[in-house]
Formats: sequence, C-alpha cells, structure tokens
Amino acid sequence: MIERQLTLIMENKPGALARVVGLFHQRGYNIDSLHVDSIEDFIPYKFIEDELDVKFSKGEVSRLVIKTTVADTLMRQILRQINKLIEVIAVSDEDSTYLKGILRDENLL
Amino acid sequence: MKLAGNDMLIQSLINEGVEYIFGYPGGAALHIYDSIFNQSEMQHILVRHEQGATHAADGYARATGKPGVVMVTSGPGATNAITGIATAFMDSIPMVVISGQVQSHLIGTDAFQETDMIGISRPIVKHSFTVDHQSNIPQIVKEAFHIATSGRQGPVVIDIPKDLTNPDDLFDYEYPKEVNIRSYNPPIKPEATQIERVVDAIFNSKKPVIYAGGGTISSNASKELIELNSYINVPVTNTLMGLGVYPATDDKFMGMLGMHGTYQANMAMHNADLILAIGARFDDRITNTPEKFAPKAQIVHFDVDHSSVSKIIEADIAVFGQVKDSLQAINKLIKDRLPELDITKFDDWHAQISKWKSEHGLNHNLYKDSSDENLILPQAAVQHIYQESKGKAFVTSDVGQHQMFAAQYYHFDEPRKWINSGGLGTMGFGLPSAMGVKLAYPDEEVICITGEGSIQMCIQELSTCSQYKLPIKIFNINNLALGMVKQWQDMNYDGRHSSISYEDSLPDFKELAESYGHVGIKITKNSDLKKGIEEAFSIKDKLVFVDIYVDPNEHVYPMLVAPNGSLKDMWLAKGSKT
Ligand SMILES: Cc1ncc(C[n+]2csc(CCOP(=O)(O)OP(=O)(O)O)c2C)c(N)n1
Ligand SMILES: [Mg+2]
Repeated sequence: MIERQLTLIMENKPGALARVVGLFHQRGYNIDSLHVDSIEDFIPYKFIEDELDVKFSKGEVSRLVIKTTVADTLMRQILRQINKLIEVIAVSDEDSTYLKGILRDENLL
Repeated sequence: MKLAGNDMLIQSLINEGVEYIFGYPGGAALHIYDSIFNQSEMQHILVRHEQGATHAADGYARATGKPGVVMVTSGPGATNAITGIATAFMDSIPMVVISGQVQSHLIGTDAFQETDMIGISRPIVKHSFTVDHQSNIPQIVKEAFHIATSGRQGPVVIDIPKDLTNPDDLFDYEYPKEVNIRSYNPPIKPEATQIERVVDAIFNSKKPVIYAGGGTISSNASKELIELNSYINVPVTNTLMGLGVYPATDDKFMGMLGMHGTYQANMAMHNADLILAIGARFDDRITNTPEKFAPKAQIVHFDVDHSSVSKIIEADIAVFGQVKDSLQAINKLIKDRLPELDITKFDDWHAQISKWKSEHGLNHNLYKDSSDENLILPQAAVQHIYQESKGKAFVTSDVGQHQMFAAQYYHFDEPRKWINSGGLGTMGFGLPSAMGVKLAYPDEEVICITGEGSIQMCIQELSTCSQYKLPIKIFNINNLALGMVKQWQDMNYDGRHSSISYEDSLPDFKELAESYGHVGIKITKNSDLKKGIEEAFSIKDKLVFVDIYVDPNEHVYPMLVAPNGSLKDMWLAKGSKT
C-alpha cells in the first residue's frame, strides 16, 4: 500500500464534490487529503477543450487533488468508479487518465 | 410558449413520451399534481405507498425497456421511495424519480417535511438534479431521461422545490431536441482487435461456456446472443438477472448458475477453459470464493461499464461497449471465419455436461405427483404454474425460497419476462412490479410468484389493483415462515429458528383478497393443486390470489457451500454435498 494521488477535472456544480467524497466512503476507500480549486488558468487544459470541443469559462470547472493510500489493484477500481460520476470530465492517477470515459495510458492532468 | 414550472415539468414528461406516472401526492407536490389533473396524455397511477410506486415503475421499465417514472412529495414521500430506488440502482433499471421539495427559502431550516433527498439518495442513483430555476426544467428533464436510459442504465432523481412549480410564474418553454452533456461518457464502440482476440479464444477452446446476465437484457441483445450460439453451439448459463435472454428450452441451456444454480451449470463454469461473460458482473452469489472461481478458465468480459470489469474476477480479454454492438461485431467476424471452426470438437464437453445433468439435474416432473400422501411441494406448484401459463407469462417475484424455485422451475424463453429484484433482493417487489408490467401489457398474462412473508411488505397495493382493474395472478407459496432465513438457520445454526414464524397471526389471504374485491383461492391438498391453478387461469377479468400451502420443510437445492467453497462445492439435498 502506497500513497497515490488522483487529479480530477469536474464541473463546478452544487453537490458534485459530495458525490466524489461520498463515493470514497461508499466503496470503503479512505481520503488522506483533499484539495479543491476553481480553475482560473485553462491553458494546461486546452487539450480537453479541443478534445471535447468545448470552451470552459471562469468558475465553471474545478480541479480536485485527492491523496489516498490503497493497493494498486484497487486504484484502477477507484479510477473507474470516479470516471462514472456524471460531472467528472477527466480523472487521472500517476499513470493513466480517463478523459470523458476514454482511457489513456498516461497522466495527462 | 410560456409555462409555469409545474406545467413545464408535466409537459416535459409528455414530450418524453411518458405513458404512466406512478406516485403519491403531498404538500410539496401539490402544484405538480394540479398540472397532472389538467392534462390527459399521461395517466397517474395512485399507489398506496411510495415504495409501491417505485417498484411499479421499475416493473414497467424491466418489461418494456422504457424508463419508469415516479412522482413523490418531500420528506416521508421521498424517504418511502428509497428502497425502490436502491432496487432499481442495483439492477441497472432506467427510472426517473421526481421528488417535491420544500420551498427554496425554507431549505436548510428543518422545515415541515423537509429532507435532504439528494443527500439520502446519492449512493443509490446514477445521477441526481436539484432544480434551481424554472427555465432549467426542460433541460434537466431531458438530461435525466438521457442519463437514465443510456450507458449502464439506472435511476435518476430530480428534486424540485415547491416555489419553482408555482403556477403564477411563467417562463419560456421549449423542450430540447437533443442533449449533449460534455462530461458524460459517449457511447463506446467495441475495439476490433479485442473482437478478434475473442473469436480466436473461442476457436481455440475446448470447454467454453457462455455466462450471460442482465446487461444482455438491458442492451436488448438476446437476438444477437442466440445468433452467436447458432454459429458456435456452446453451453449457455444465465444469471438470475439474465433468465430468458437465452431460451431456457434450448438444449444448450444449462439453467441458472450460482448460489442456487443447477449442478451442471456450476460444474461447467468450474471446469470451463473459456468463459464468455456477457453483461454479467461476477456477483458474489455467482463466484462463491473468488480465488477458487473457474481455475482453468480464460475470462472474456463484455460490459458497458469499465468499473465492472476486473472488479472481482480479472478479465483476460475485456470488450467495452454495449453488449449488442459487441455481439454484432463478433457475429460478423465469426460468420466470415466459420469454415475454421469445427464444432464437433465440443462434443466431449457437451457429453460431460449431459452426464452432470443426468446425475444431479433438477427434476422437472414433480408436478406429476398428485397424491395426498405428500404435502404440496413448492417446486411442483411452480411447475404447474409453468404448465398452465404455457411458459408465456410475465412472472414477477419477491425474495426467498419461492423466488429461487420460480427461477429454477419456470423456463423463460424470452427476455424481460422474468422480473425480480436480483441485486438488492427486495421483499415487497413482486406485487407492485406486476402492476407496472400489467399496465404496460394489459393483454398478457402477468403472474406474481410470492411468499407469505414478502407479499405482506407491499400488500396494500391490492387496493391499487382493484382501483385500476389489474387482473394479475398472485401465487402465494405459503410455507408459514420466512423460509429462506429458516433454511439458513437449519443449515448453519443447528435449526435454531429465530424469528422466522408468525405464529398464529397470518391473515386468511383468500378472505383478504376478497375484501379488496378480488378472487381468492386457497389450496391445501396436493390433489387440489392442478385444479386450483387451472381455475385461477380460467379467470381472465379479475385479480386472483391463490394461497398455496406448501411443505414448510423444503429447502432450495443445489446450494453453494460457503464460506471458502468453489462453484463445484454444492449441497445437493439435506445432509448431502458434492
Ligand atoms: C426487505 C427485506 N427484508 C429482509 C430480507 C431478508 N430475507 C430474505 S428472504 C427472507 C424470507 C422471505 O420469506 P417469504 O417471502 O415467505 O419467502 P420464502 O423464503 O418463505 O419462500 C428474508 C426475511 C429481504 N430480502 N428483504
Ligand atoms: Mg414463506
């Protein structure tokens, strides 16, 4: 078991954060730390805008960084469960990213 | 067009093509109910308890493939709906639940009938919405239906504060034609390379098994599955949720697998060299101890939900996408490569399965015994129901021994005909879900096979059935106890029967049914069983409640040995295991 870091890009909507936090509890994973920001600078995420053919505006999207200590096999399951949340646009761990449901083999976030 | 929030909501449902709303009114939903009153395109079905509304909508959805719609008020109305939402969630059933909420300015003040419905339902919905302004209602309804019915389906809650349904505040209304949620999964297409790997795996196997579950039904892929097996001709098993997706009377069908699966289905899974898992999720009632599951098999897993694959059992080949698309792709490739496949190489495997079946298969001829020396066997009661309904009925069920007997002994030849709460195992599901099915298919035979424990969890819906004239047939497999619990106590607690008996308190179900205006039939003797069931089926225009007193000491077998057992470890009868 090692500490792993997850990064999420998600819609900044009421209740969205609660869904992520709730999912950890519901599936029996622990959160070691959690950091949330509203994204102000979209330049690093331009590839998401291009990919999804959307334009983000200020305050519309948040970035979450979650640290959790879990076994590797469970990490994949957590990533997949988070990816299922409707308001999550992208989620990554150190070596993979789900972007709107499509899996990439690198950390793009 | 300008509309008030309440009318917008109702108009949006009409635009979605909703036929029935199952619900119950109350303070926070009063404006909405006024809109329901003022239209005639949808019918509102007034149930007797909100749990009944959710199960009725759920039954409607399972039978038709269309989303079920539920309307409840805030507070207790919303909380009463929770069990039914969880039931739909566990089985991935499309449903839209609209809950009234207290007025916006009262939220958070512990107002009368305030409850945090979004919070309470969060872990058991696919998604939920709070309406924040009237002008968003059409968009939210559109998105809710889209989410409920696409990808891996499931229930969606829309919570709407009362002031946003106020009839005096008008806003522009236009129902969106399309929906695009930028953060939501697009439909995934199966990858061609994976499809090729699957076909290679099938062609290289000697002991393949198709293990198909409820996802194959949600994806409407029964036809494709049957087509696949017309080429490869391999043994098939279905999960409790998948029954009917492959015809039970086909000679390649081995019956259900898992906890109470047939001997041959469980043995075939354990000894297979290839398992094609199609829209099934390796639930713990299927795998028994995961580490001991199918030790020799290569696993191919078809699923629309990434998180279901390699969750319990690691997949060797994963095919993501709607099962229907994946099977179509497989079928196309197999057709091209058919000359490479010699299906006679499976002959030994088929012979082995036939041998298992002849050794310990289920006895489907119990109904032929009508002697009064024996008590009525619950299995025989189900067999009679199967014979009399010619295998054509929709059958809903509850939870317990009767449910397992129904799954084992009623042969389902078509998908969406077997309607039961597989994932959550909700007692009380049977009767209200049958109402939803009967409304969807008024000319079809709709049967509820229940137990005297389960039926009492939603028995109030007998009243709804008389109001809307729903001539369902209810077969109450009455063993005078919470039979399944009793079976576990017999097997694991030295027969200490803790709280499974109602002592002398059961109602006379025949008279109870009659008091609601239905027909009641009571059967207590084996020699009366056939006649009584025939009589029930001869009555077409009324609900018939058939109370069948069965042998209270029967157990459901086979039963997997747990804990630490594999799929080949089964109890086959009292005191006898493999
Ligand atoms: C709401 C609910 N409460 C409790 C259970 C646990 N449970 C499973 S089967 C069962 C007994 C069901 O009794 P009955 O409906 O008479 O069916 P039988 O097993 O006797 O055929 C119970 C209590 C459940 N599945 N659902
Ligand atoms: Mg019982």
